[in-house]
Amino acid sequence: MSILTLRNISKRYGSLQALREVSFEVPRGSVFGILGPNGSGKTTLLGIVTDVLKADTGDFTLFDQLPTAAQRRQIGTLLETPNFYHYLSGYKNLQITAAVKRRDEKDIARVLEIAGLTARQHAAFKTYSLGMKQRLAIANTLLGDPDVLILDEPSNGLDPAGIAEVRALIKQLAQSGKTIIMASHLLDEVEKVCTHVAVLQKGKLLTSGPVNTVMVREDFVELGSKDMSGLETIIRQHPLFGNLAAADGVLQVFFTGTVEPGELNSWLAGNGIWLNHLQVRRKSLESAFLEMTQN
Amino acid sequence: MLNIIRIEWLKVKNYRTFWILLILAVVVIPASNMIVADVVGRIPKQATDLLGRNFYDYPVAWQTVANVNSFTSIIFGLLLVTLVTNEFTYKTHRQQIIDGWERMDLVLSKIFWVVVLALTALVVSFITAIAFGTVYSKSSFSFEGVQFLFFYFLQVLVSLSIALMLGMFVKRSGLATVLYLGYAMIFEQLLSVGLKHSVGVIGGLLPLQAGDELLPFPVVDRVLPSSSDYSHGVYELTIILYIALFIGLTCRRMLKVDY
Repeated sequence: MSILTLRNISKRYGSLQALREVSFEVPRGSVFGILGPNGSGKTTLLGIVTDVLKADTGDFTLFDQLPTAAQRRQIGTLLETPNFYHYLSGYKNLQITAAVKRRDEKDIARVLEIAGLTARQHAAFKTYSLGMKQRLAIANTLLGDPDVLILDEPSNGLDPAGIAEVRALIKQLAQSGKTIIMASHLLDEVEKVCTHVAVLQKGKLLTSGPVNTVMVREDFVELGSKDMSGLETIIRQHPLFGNLAAADGVLQVFFTGTVEPGELNSWLAGNGIWLNHLQVRRKSLESAFLEMTQN
Repeated sequence: MLNIIRIEWLKVKNYRTFWILLILAVVVIPASNMIVADVVGRIPKQATDLLGRNFYDYPVAWQTVANVNSFTSIIFGLLLVTLVTNEFTYKTHRQQIIDGWERMDLVLSKIFWVVVLALTALVVSFITAIAFGTVYSKSSFSFEGVQFLFFYFLQVLVSLSIALMLGMFVKRSGLATVLYLGYAMIFEQLLSVGLKHSVGVIGGLLPLQAGDELLPFPVVDRVLPSSSDYSHGVYELTIILYIALFIGLTCRRMLKVDY
């Protein structure tokens, strides 16, 4: 079953085309990252899915059905900024959410504990720090233990420890079988948790699907030697040599097939090159993303 | 609807501004009548004999209270503007849709306040009229003329509908408040006078003015010629149509626009 299916969604703000015929599908149980630089249309897309924005054309389904408010009550959503009554406490704000979602208020204590806000639950929202506001927003999404979460830049405003906690929480939620749709411009964040991605640029969908299929991230080998020019000459003669790039005093070498590091070391030694650095690495999501969006 | 009412209660239960404005709006009803009663008490007997009766004698007491209160009902409107624009200030209107309200629920939640505040004004006015009639009336209790309280209720409803529409369209608290006060206190009066001079009695069919036409100053209207040229039914229907129009426009906007 598909959790969310988008079909040719377009949205324009005046002369700005925020989304251009975007279509993709979010499978159940996936951690689905919506990637794109600032202004690429990520929040607009999630705004349409949550009915705070209206698409100009196109449609979408939630849980394979036409979207309704009842389905939104089954989804925990954090969109853009935490939106709460400043004069009410964290607890009382969550009471309102529980009533809107028609969930039991007993769950409030659990989600406040997860968000680390139990001690400050009765303080007014306006007295919270930026990080605490974001934590309350995360607690808000977890209320009622929904099977689907939509998180728009979930680590906004958090300190490094908070970012790590949110990342661990997302991993833990994903492992428990929940579907998570997450928009982020922090690729590092997405790389660590996502199983699927959709890449947006200037409102256009560049690609979508399982992360290892749609983002070409082939392995490469970093090599270093006292004789760098000799290394470069010899490595070009390797039967599986693809291409290379010099970076930070080492050579990044891409091969056309799988090369076992021990065999490579032995082959180079046999050709008179003694290595002082050898490491198999994988291209980061960031460089794969940059390649994709710059092409 | 019960769930919406419960949610609205959770929003205001601990909201000090709400309670201060509500108490002010309620207290000002008997207070302003007390001032009028005090002033009336100082009018020389010959003058009151000329007018025929006291302002708080039954059955005129209903009309007096309704007329006096029509000048202070603006406080209920200010309270509603605050409740509506708070949602936009805190962006909680977005959050409630995200969390699972229908867009119509958002409008209904504020129409609920239109009705509750108008009923509060009506009930407090009713009690005030009975209290002042009991204390000051020289004639026995009578429900004759109680329809003036209904006219007042209609005027409060239309005034709150304007506040609702302005709040939902303008969104910003300060601007919506200034526009509401400006319209209710100055602009409509000017427009009404201008229309009456240039076009004629149709100037009495503006939203708040229609209520004023139904609520002439008591006793004095028997001495001075009435400015009303349509029957009561025309003004009542006009107000009801305005309420439907303002709420209809509000619904149309809130169901369609981006939040």
